[in-house]
Amino acid sequence: MEFLHSILVKPFADMAAAPDFLIQVLWEGMVSGVLYALIALGFVLIYKSSRIFNFAQGIMVVFAALTLVGLHERGVPALLAVPLTLLVMFFLAVGIERVVLRPLVNQPDIILFMATIGITLFLIGFGETIFGGENKRMITEELGIPTGSFSFEPFGGFVLIEQKDVAAVVGAVLLVVGLLAFLNKSKMGRAIRALGDDHQAALSVGISLSTIWVLVWFIAGVIALVTGIVWGARAGVSFALEVIAYKALPVLMLGGLESVMGAIIGGLMIGILEKLFEIYWGQPLLGGNTEIWFAYMLALLVLLFRPQGLFGEKIIERV
Amino acid sequence: MNAHGSAGHFAGSDDGIAKGEVLLKVDNVSLAFGGVKAITDISFDVRKGEIRAIIGPNGAGKTSMLNVINGFYTPQQGVITFRGVERRAMKPHHAVRQGIARTFQNVALFKGMTTLENIMAGRSVHMHRNIGWQMLWHGPALNEEIEHRQKVEEIIDFLEIEHIRRTPVGKLPYGLQKRVELGRALAMEPSLLLLDEPMAGMNLEEKEDMSRFIIDVNQQRGTTIALIEHDMGVVMDLSDRVVVLDYGKKIADGPPDAVKNDQAVIDAYLGVAH
Amino acid sequence: MAQPAAALDTFPKYLLLNAERFGGRPAMRHKDYGIWQTWNWAEQLDEIRAFAIGLKQLGLGHGDRVAIVGANRPRLYWTFAAVQSLGGVPVPVYADAVAEEMAYVLDHAGVRFAVAQDQEQVDKLLTFHETIPALTNVIYDEPRGLRDYPRERLHDFADVQAKGRAALAADPAAGRAWEEGVRAGSGDDVSVMLYTSGTTGRSKGVVLTAAASVKAALDTVTFDRLSENDSVLAYLPLAWVGDHYLNFAQGYVSGFCMNCPESQQTVPQDLREIAPTFYFAPPRVFESLLTSVTIRMEDAGRFKQWIFRHFTGVARKYGEAILEKRAVPLSGRLAYALGDVLLYGPLKNVLGMSNIRVAYTAGEAIGADLFSFFRSLGINLKQLYGQTEAFLYVTAQKDGEVRADTVGPAAPNVDIRIADNGEVLFRSPGQFTGYYKEDDKTEEVLTPDGFIRTGDAGFFEADGQLKIIDRAKDVGKLADGALFAPKYIENMLKFFPNIKEAVAFGDGRDFCAAFINIDLTAVGNWAERNNIAYASYQELAGHPQVYEMIARNVDETNRRLAQEPMMAGGQIARFLILHKELDADDGELTRTQKVRRSFIADRYGELIEALYDGSAEKYVETEVTFEDGRKGRISATVRIADAAVHGRPARQRAEAAE
Repeated sequence: MEFLHSILVKPFADMAAAPDFLIQVLWEGMVSGVLYALIALGFVLIYKSSRIFNFAQGIMVVFAALTLVGLHERGVPALLAVPLTLLVMFFLAVGIERVVLRPLVNQPDIILFMATIGITLFLIGFGETIFGGENKRMITEELGIPTGSFSFEPFGGFVLIEQKDVAAVVGAVLLVVGLLAFLNKSKMGRAIRALGDDHQAALSVGISLSTIWVLVWFIAGVIALVTGIVWGARAGVSFALEVIAYKALPVLMLGGLESVMGAIIGGLMIGILEKLFEIYWGQPLLGGNTEIWFAYMLALLVLLFRPQGLFGEKIIERV
Repeated sequence: MNAHGSAGHFAGSDDGIAKGEVLLKVDNVSLAFGGVKAITDISFDVRKGEIRAIIGPNGAGKTSMLNVINGFYTPQQGVITFRGVERRAMKPHHAVRQGIARTFQNVALFKGMTTLENIMAGRSVHMHRNIGWQMLWHGPALNEEIEHRQKVEEIIDFLEIEHIRRTPVGKLPYGLQKRVELGRALAMEPSLLLLDEPMAGMNLEEKEDMSRFIIDVNQQRGTTIALIEHDMGVVMDLSDRVVVLDYGKKIADGPPDAVKNDQAVIDAYLGVAH
Repeated sequence: MAQPAAALDTFPKYLLLNAERFGGRPAMRHKDYGIWQTWNWAEQLDEIRAFAIGLKQLGLGHGDRVAIVGANRPRLYWTFAAVQSLGGVPVPVYADAVAEEMAYVLDHAGVRFAVAQDQEQVDKLLTFHETIPALTNVIYDEPRGLRDYPRERLHDFADVQAKGRAALAADPAAGRAWEEGVRAGSGDDVSVMLYTSGTTGRSKGVVLTAAASVKAALDTVTFDRLSENDSVLAYLPLAWVGDHYLNFAQGYVSGFCMNCPESQQTVPQDLREIAPTFYFAPPRVFESLLTSVTIRMEDAGRFKQWIFRHFTGVARKYGEAILEKRAVPLSGRLAYALGDVLLYGPLKNVLGMSNIRVAYTAGEAIGADLFSFFRSLGINLKQLYGQTEAFLYVTAQKDGEVRADTVGPAAPNVDIRIADNGEVLFRSPGQFTGYYKEDDKTEEVLTPDGFIRTGDAGFFEADGQLKIIDRAKDVGKLADGALFAPKYIENMLKFFPNIKEAVAFGDGRDFCAAFINIDLTAVGNWAERNNIAYASYQELAGHPQVYEMIARNVDETNRRLAQEPMMAGGQIARFLILHKELDADDGELTRTQKVRRSFIADRYGELIEALYDGSAEKYVETEVTFEDGRKGRISATVRIADAAVHGRPARQRAEAAE
């Protein structure tokens, strides 16, 4: 009875008792959720247009952040380092298309997946060689990201919101909106969707496979950079950042591999739910640190009932 | 302002080749997958304005031949000359840009999109406004969109598929899907149209409709057509010249009547041992 | 107004008037290339004038007949007025008629010109044009595929108009001369010749004169208060009196806008986009609409199903009363208003019926439930009874005085009387002058005092509404003298959604028996839901469970018949489900989808005998015509089922069976 009460009643009573704290928790959850969504979006784009499950998405976040910080360390002004990093990500995309994807075209999906693991290992080695493996500080102020905080007092309580989190959310939302507009309205965007729908048909209307692949990998690179900056600002830049990219996996299971909206909603859901669970159930009942596994458990539950994810299209094995 | 009055209708692209001249020339092309030879030393040509059929028993290499022509496959040997330009290897999107459009044996459509969107996709080759304009979504890009939409509507009218304009093609019956696919190829205003078994899996009535569309495309727009077809009756009625493949080799080439009476062709179709 | 009203006795005169009084208002719309193109009355006049003068240049003169072959397209409608403006006679022909049917009409009418929609129709005309020497000019609307045809007799519609425009440009007097010609036109001129589709034998050319046609149209336009603010979707066959009267004649007289659909298949979408204010459809269209709505609801979620069930219930209770402005309790009004927001409004919108002010159905009896369903949604659906010979209207129901089983009192200025044999006779303002070149047939239908025999049997109900029971000649007697009205029985059967068509037999026989066609949509859907696999109509029709289901329908029909003293003797004792769908291509139905009774009796003589000789089944072979004109044979063993007769002892069957 006591136990049931602590699961079913007390958490909600706590929420109602301290609404200001609940707001704080929801906000924190949303900030993480936005980032999960961004990374998942990178996966979805690549998967939709090439059926490749890009294992390297996580390391690309680290690599982009490292490059940015590394360039700055070498004396490049912060605001110049950003376009330069983008250029590096672009060449990375071109390189991946030339060296990895093009020779492997028409190979089974699993081979391509293995190839992305190869890319991951390469980027780890390459990044470490050039920028070193130690933990670095993100150049937050240099990039003009505000570091102060707001506070306000709803319901007589107290909520603190960091400005860089606000910047992160705003930046992510802008990126997502821009991306959606690009996908739906532009010729290139439509080409990406077309390629995702039917490969042969896309080729036959004159869509160039290489161009699209470079494009989506570059977009994935841009997303990686934004994620890297934002997350780096919260937790510093290190290879450990890669781990947060794996949070995108449950997001994808939840949202489906092919749904852009699924990635966004899935990301937000996981971000918010894992935070709520940690604060109201995890810490009092399970000793905390549930954020490490909660998302995976949730995804597992969803998969039991809807194998294609909450928003995904039915998975049909391509012939 | 009845648009049917304008006699022009939609025209094929001007490729600078006069009617009756050679538009596409295939010279000694061979293609192998690993050790398996799909096509061996095949040569033939397609003349501007004609309907050219490629026939042969199953596994004769017909689809491989089309795939070589539109750049899906790169032959190990041989030269392909299209509109006077020689090449061996070519990317499919380059072939599209040069004016080669095609349909597929098993229908390759964007299943999640509507008929209109599918045919509109065929116009993408002809869209020129850059991303910047497209993002703003008015001005020149919008005008261009309207112009393309008009072309697409002409095709919809031509193929009599007004009633499925807004239907996702995945929901359409097979015969109509084939028609939409033809529509998408037409939207590209190709100078050479490759049709891979345009009538496969159709009933008699659908076949007749499709034949009429093919003839109309050829006659009204002057589009050169190369097609693969199984139904011999249809082939003989439609085509000006026929090339016959068997086991990846060319065994006959000429007008339908000559080919029909060719001993090698008869043997191939009756399955005489090699 | 430029013209005194008395002189307005031809449609071209109304064209001039409308261009003047409604010049800027839409007269015609056509969906082409995905966009609704509009012509106002002034533009429509321009188009018609140019075409008329072009026709004149080609040699069309007063009294020349012009065939019009094709679907509902602006240019074909313009042809009517253009031909009439020169004193010529338009002769619309059913576009789906096979070549020989068409050849007969064109030859009989002696047409000199034909205006055809497209290559398909031109090809048809060319197959027989040599046997009709008078036919010297064929004009086509759509040039596709016709580029390489020999030119001598073939003209592009646009070219003819261009010729007319060139003449107008060269000589300004030409336009005036044409207008004067129109104003000088006589109301006694023949306005149009409509060939009846003919339930029996060859079709006959019904000759209608201009002044009478205009008068008839004016009467009904006034009756239903039609005006230039109304609009219609012209989707019915051009050659049918209904289309010509409702859309063309009423349109010219009232000035409303006619909308032409993009193609036959897009009619439902076009209807939705146009949302006309005046609408006509035969009962079978309403039936298929209801069927499709029902099917969609069966696939819908539970909540939606509940909404549908609940609010159709509310509509059934209060809808018609509200439509007829009768007293309804406030709670009923509120429930209905809510239903309007949740169901009726959206449903009418989907069906393209949100703006309907007046709708009619006619041609055959409509089921009471079906009729009430649409009326309860707030659609002012009424019935009329009409004939080609009357230039449509004989009776029409007044707003608020509507019943499902009658067709209303006499239309304005129409006189009706019932002959001794029960046949309905009428005299109407729009009535024809005779059948073209068939005086003997004209005499057959015309009484000495100028009434026309409709061939239908009926009687007046107490409230003055006419009730039609059957074709007069089909009404017969069973061997025991009981009244046998086959159509009455067939209609009762057809009110069941599973039954598409029925043919009853019994004249001079011991009992009544019936052929039944199942409705492939409804029964197919039922089969799908019940996991019954079938490969063809034939297989489904012969399925034992389908027989059981139809047997229940037949039993219900018998129960209802048993309650009507006049009809109780006509209960169905035996029936069979036919192995093929009755089809106009096989001559079993008319082009307007009416059963051709005697033809069917001949064709399926063996099956009829089997109905009466007590066999449990019968093997038959039947010739069929495919859509492309080829012929083939189908064979089947058709099962024959017995049905219970109510209200009196079952008799004779055992006797007959031995």
